[in-house]
Amino acid sequence: MKKALSLILALVMALSLAACGGGKTETPSDSNTPADNTSAEPTKLSLILRGGTYADVIKECLPAFEAEHNVVCEVQELSEGDLYSGIALDAINDKGSYDLCMVDGSWMAEFTENGVLANLTELGYSLDEDVIPATTAICYVGDDLYLAPYYGNVTVLLYNKANVEAAGYTGDTILSLEDMLAICEKAKADGKLGFIYRGDSQNNLVVDFLPILLSYGGWVIDSNNQPTVNTPEFKDAMNFYLKLIATGSAQVKDDLIASCDTGAGTMGVGWPGWYTPTADTAADYCAITGAVAKGGETHNANVYGVWTIGIPSNSQNKELATELLSYLMDKDVQKSTVPSGGVPCRYSSLQDAEILKTYPQYEVVCKALEGGMYRPVIAEWTQFYTILGAEMDNIVNGVKTVDQGLADAQSQLEALMK
Amino acid sequence: MKRNVNTKLRSADAQTKRFGLGMLSPTVVILLIMTAYPLFFTLVYSFTDYNLLRSLKKGSHFIALQNYTKLLSDPYFQQSILNTVKFTILAVIFEMFIGLVMALFVNSLKRGQKTMRTLLLLPYLLPTVTVALSWRMMLSPNYGIVNQVLQALHLPVYNWFSDIHTAFGMLVLIDVWQSAPFVFLLLYAALQSVPQSQYEAARIDGANRFKILFYVTLPNIKNSLALCALLRTIDSFRLFDKVNLLTGGGPANSTSTITQYLYNYGIKSLDFGFGSAGAIVMTVLVLLLSSVYIKRAIS
Repeated sequence: MKKALSLILALVMALSLAACGGGKTETPSDSNTPADNTSAEPTKLSLILRGGTYADVIKECLPAFEAEHNVVCEVQELSEGDLYSGIALDAINDKGSYDLCMVDGSWMAEFTENGVLANLTELGYSLDEDVIPATTAICYVGDDLYLAPYYGNVTVLLYNKANVEAAGYTGDTILSLEDMLAICEKAKADGKLGFIYRGDSQNNLVVDFLPILLSYGGWVIDSNNQPTVNTPEFKDAMNFYLKLIATGSAQVKDDLIASCDTGAGTMGVGWPGWYTPTADTAADYCAITGAVAKGGETHNANVYGVWTIGIPSNSQNKELATELLSYLMDKDVQKSTVPSGGVPCRYSSLQDAEILKTYPQYEVVCKALEGGMYRPVIAEWTQFYTILGAEMDNIVNGVKTVDQGLADAQSQLEALMK
Repeated sequence: MKRNVNTKLRSADAQTKRFGLGMLSPTVVILLIMTAYPLFFTLVYSFTDYNLLRSLKKGSHFIALQNYTKLLSDPYFQQSILNTVKFTILAVIFEMFIGLVMALFVNSLKRGQKTMRTLLLLPYLLPTVTVALSWRMMLSPNYGIVNQVLQALHLPVYNWFSDIHTAFGMLVLIDVWQSAPFVFLLLYAALQSVPQSQYEAARIDGANRFKILFYVTLPNIKNSLALCALLRTIDSFRLFDKVNLLTGGGPANSTSTITQYLYNYGIKSLDFGFGSAGAIVMTVLVLLLSSVYIKRAIS
């Protein structure tokens, strides 16, 4: 009896281990050639995308491609952090799980330096002249293209129209940081919140501050990729930012949008993908001019959050994935995504008279995209913003002074960038 | 004849041993694969500069104790340890106390015990993400019901998760709300097994309610109390999802726990060598904290 039981246990274990090990199954996706249209079995393409509008507009375009190429596209939608780790974790496999990925511009250096992305130039893809040139700045390494700018996210100033008008301004007359402060102080005096910022993560803290820093002529690194956070420009920007945020409060993204929409808050740094303003909506957005004072020197103060698309270097369907990428980047296909919230980095979409008639805010987006700044293209950007964001968090919460916080950030960042 | 008996006994003994080993082997194999192997590699990685992406081209190198010295000298990590210990102590005390009160209350009910038991258990049955997001909505400065009620009562309102004075307390409150029912469940089950004859004897001897509680009830359920405290200590020490979803460790690092720190500085940036060192330090701390309970359980 005992022997029989032991034997059964051993068998169960052996079967479990065999089942866990799994066997290699040949699927059409193991092939490196495009799908044969005549084959009955459709090829599976796997897409890993940033969830929300960014993925929605892509998903909406897929059925036509699937039908034409006998392909089934599986889409995985993830948050920003999960998307980054999802792509990175898959990169260590010889055979990747994904065929097309969405990439934030700030990951570009790390991904290309470590061979995560396929060379699109070698795959025969190139960008056309309709794509706004500034948005392609981080897509190349030398002459080789690795990414295509898909969704034109760029920082804008999201504001409540009524609160701005109550201070005697309109979106067109917010011409400087001082105007922003005046409006927010008036709102605070009226019992409302002024400037709302996202204080829920180091990345958000840094990103919301960057347009202010740029307006003061500062930046986080110099041309040699050395940190420059303990500079007079950075300190001036930080001191101004403290005055600005004192008129409002830290909120998460959804609350920030709700605040600007209801009028409980007055303004905050946002992205076009967050909100679709119309003539009837309570909120609108405008570009941040990049001037500290009216008539003063203007700087390029719009920070890109462009979502690009690329192909993982370990994709098993590179050629087919290139066809999909070309299709998604097609002028007409991109234009067709606008009614669903798409923001192509293309003149043909953003300057189209028909589109502007319905979505006049795209004029602002186009201007912002023409003169935007990418976050530093350095492989250490994740660690960089974590350190800087943590020190900024201390400063805005009064745990450290501006001088102390920035000095600490500078020394930690210098150690990081050694 | 005697030799034959001895041989048979020895063979029976060996068979019993083999059977025992056969029964143990699945657990041992699973433990080796799921616990010992990852623990060993975590320990090995903690002495390297292993970064998931960088190692694709540059590999990883042995750096001795550098990760540990960097970790232990980092003021943010020290603050995370303090936050974690503070959180664990507060959460365990409140959860044990509230769970015990709930268990005593339900156990004392003459009717409706089943209904009450089910209702009180509901928070524990919810996934942590659902709990965190529900509380975020309730405490939202814009449309949250809590601030609306406070406003209606002309009381001051707060930006609960962004205010350095309230964020930590909110995390403790939410954890207690979700986990006290777990303590309740275990203690309620223990209370059911306390012999009624002891209560009757105590009453005949003229013991009042407090004396019955301290001299009959608690001594009878002390093992369950110790087990609850152990499980809640380990669980509270590992707190991550609520912090990550609600505060991200802020404001000003005031809610950063060890796991959140490791996520921010090790996992998010794929610095698995550094993250492994943190995981080892955390394991040691959990073992130290739990050793008292474990010793007691073994004895």
